[in-house]
Order: sequence, then structure tokens, then C-alpha cells
Amino acid sequence: MKNKIKNISVYLSCLILLVFISTRLNAQDPAELSTESTETKIKPVKNTFESAVLLDNQTVIVPIKGTFEMDIQHRFGTINNGAKDLFGLFAPSNIRIALSYVPIKNLLVGAGITKDRMQTDIHLKYALIKQTPTKFPVSISYFGNMVIDGRDGSYFRYNVHRFSYFNQLIIARKITEKLSVQVAPSLSWFNNIEGYVNSNGDIKNKMKNEHIAISTMIRYKLSESTALNFGYDQALTAHPTNNPHPNLCFGFEKTTSAHNFQIFAGNYYGIVPQSNNLFNQNDYMKSQYVLGFNISRLWNY
Amino acid sequence: MKKTVFLFIVASIILTASFTMKTEGDPQKPWVVSDAAKNKKNPISSNATSIAAGKTLWNTHCKSCHGSKGLGDGSKSAQLKTEPGDFSKAIVQDQTDGALFFKISEGRKDMPSFKKKLPDEEDRWQLVNFMRTLKK
Repeated sequence: MKNKIKNISVYLSCLILLVFISTRLNAQDPAELSTESTETKIKPVKNTFESAVLLDNQTVIVPIKGTFEMDIQHRFGTINNGAKDLFGLFAPSNIRIALSYVPIKNLLVGAGITKDRMQTDIHLKYALIKQTPTKFPVSISYFGNMVIDGRDGSYFRYNVHRFSYFNQLIIARKITEKLSVQVAPSLSWFNNIEGYVNSNGDIKNKMKNEHIAISTMIRYKLSESTALNFGYDQALTAHPTNNPHPNLCFGFEKTTSAHNFQIFAGNYYGIVPQSNNLFNQNDYMKSQYVLGFNISRLWNY
Repeated sequence: MKKTVFLFIVASIILTASFTMKTEGDPQKPWVVSDAAKNKKNPISSNATSIAAGKTLWNTHCKSCHGSKGLGDGSKSAQLKTEPGDFSKAIVQDQTDGALFFKISEGRKDMPSFKKKLPDEEDRWQLVNFMRTLKK
């Protein structure tokens, strides 16, 4: 418990430091320069991130209106078995395929299917505020989803137990042309949580139905089309048992005109955010990382 | 020995023919641009900022076909049915900003239209400003 409090306090200190740095660097915002020639019209900062999905989380980005996007997300098994299963490449893997579309400005809607727990999700993201050189220091988007667990009926007493929900407020800032930072508190909710019978014969929940967590991502561009990415997800809710482990992830990203490729290592196996936040038992202290990749393909209509 | 000589001659013919086919490809039809489009004025002044922004866009959207220096030698250029052209030459550089803007916006054959991918006209004008730096 002490360690957990210590972890959280270190984490929050880092966040405050990042926000402080970003505020101090306000005067260096590259977007200020880009508006020199069109002084009358202040435009939002472009490309805080290069894609709508990065590592294990959504980014603040909502693509331009009329964009159709296909995402393929893949996670191999944990690397800690070594050569036995070729660092997880031959282990059972998880995959998500999703389609999304931007029908009106600032709104993305979509749906996806995930192998783990046979989950089907529908999701939306709305850009509430976009960072500008003078008016708004950060961009803010809301992301939410509803997920249906499609496994056999024997897993559930009632069909309503199949549903889970995820709500996230994504706050990001492009600090310099190369460096972007994102902080995203989230609330997950599962209608059904596994129970157990204690020594008194009482039925208890192993975990709470609700779960609050916070996620951070940092993008550092190496060139116009490549970047290094880092992410950290920390649970804030304490559960009676099965407390989830944090996620530490890092990877490399390559962007082209119509594609975004990411390859990375992290602790999350679940892909669906609420599953990751509640059920992750991969521990970075025990080197339980999984290799993963994300591929996005964009079309503009 | 005779077999080797025969094979050498056949290989030489095939190799020569392949170069011939490459250089004798169908010349491209002229890309007609209306006078109104040609005479459209570039509202973005050419300075270090707009050129840098144009370069970023170029590297993301154009480089794979046109090459980093606009010589038409990008990694995908060999797969194209139409020649991507050499932007360092006068045939491109003598065109007006408006004509280049029109071609970027509308596209033709292998060249995609960027009106929807880059809906902000300012982005496309910045690309034009960067293309001017490719002149030799």
C-alpha cells in the first residue's frame, strides 16, 4: 500500500512538472510562427500526435471531416518466456480490428472487434477544445465506448452483465514541434465483476465495478515522419483483490500520407481500454512485457 | 562455349530492350490548367516558416513518389504508371504558383487529389513554397 501511494505521488509530481514545463515553453510554440502570414485568423495547432490511436490509448486527435480509418492492433504474448515461445511471438496473441469515420467536424465514431473476451465495441471521440497559439494552451477531447463481451452465456447470469463502459477526458499539448504530451484521466465501469465467498459464507466482489485511472503519453519526433513514444497508465482505484498493475510502454512510430505504423513493448495485453485498466496483471517489475503493433490506414472522402 | 555465347547475346538483347522500353514510354499528355487557376495568387509569403511547414508536408505526402529533392525518384516511383517528373527543372519551376496549387489540389491519374486530405488551402500553398526550393 505504501509503495502504491509512493508510486502515485511520484506520478502526480511528474505530471505537475510536465504541465509547468509546457506552460513555461508557451512562448516557443511553433504554431505561433505558422500564423505569421495569416495574422487575422488564429488556427489550431496541427498534428499534436500523428494518429488517433497511439500505443495502448487514444490520442487527443480527431482526423479531419470525411476521414475513414481502419485500425489493426496486435499484441503478442509476454516476452518473459524467452526463446521458449520466441519472446511471446509464438504465444497466444490478441488482435483488434476497428473501423471509424468522421461524419462531422470534430466527431469520430466507430466500432471494433477484439479477440480477447470476444469483445465488440462502439466508440466515439469528440474534440472539445483545440490548442491555439494564444487562446487555448491545450487540446481537450472526450473519448467514450460501450463494449459487449461476446463469450458464451455461461459466463453471465444476465445478458446485461456483458456490458462495460469507458469514459476518458484527453488533455494534450504540443509543447514544441517535436515534443507532445498527453494526460488522460478515465472512468471504467463493468456491469459484472467476478465474486467469491469469504470465510463467513458471504458473497463478495473481487473488484469494484468502477475504476478510475490516469494515462500519460509523450511523443518525441525524430523526423517529419518518425517518432519515439512513451506511455504510462496508473490505476487510482484500490480494489479488494486483484489490483491491476500499471502499464509502462514505449515504441517507435512511422507515418506516411495514408498510414501510421507503430511497434512497441508494453504491459497491456487487452487492447480494449477498460479491460486493460481493470484486468492487467502483467507486471513491468517482472519484465512481463508484450510486443505489439498498431497499423492505421486512412482514406479521405 | 557456343551455348554460353548464345545465352550472353539473348541476355544482352533483353537487357537493352528493357532500357529501351523504359525510355520510350508514352509521353504524358499536357496537364491543362485554366487561366483562372494559373493566375491565382499565392497568399502565403515564402519565408523560412512556410517553407519548413511545406517541407514537413512534402516529407509526409509527396516524398514517397517524388523523392526528397523532387527528382521523381521516390521509393514508390517505379510502381507508377505516370512519370512523377523532375521538379528541379524549368518545365516545373516555370509554372505559376497557381498552376502548381491547382495540380496539387486536383490530382491526375497516379497523382492523388489533396483537396480532401489537406483541406486547409494554406497547407497546399506552403507545399508550393517548398517546391520552389527544389529548383536547381
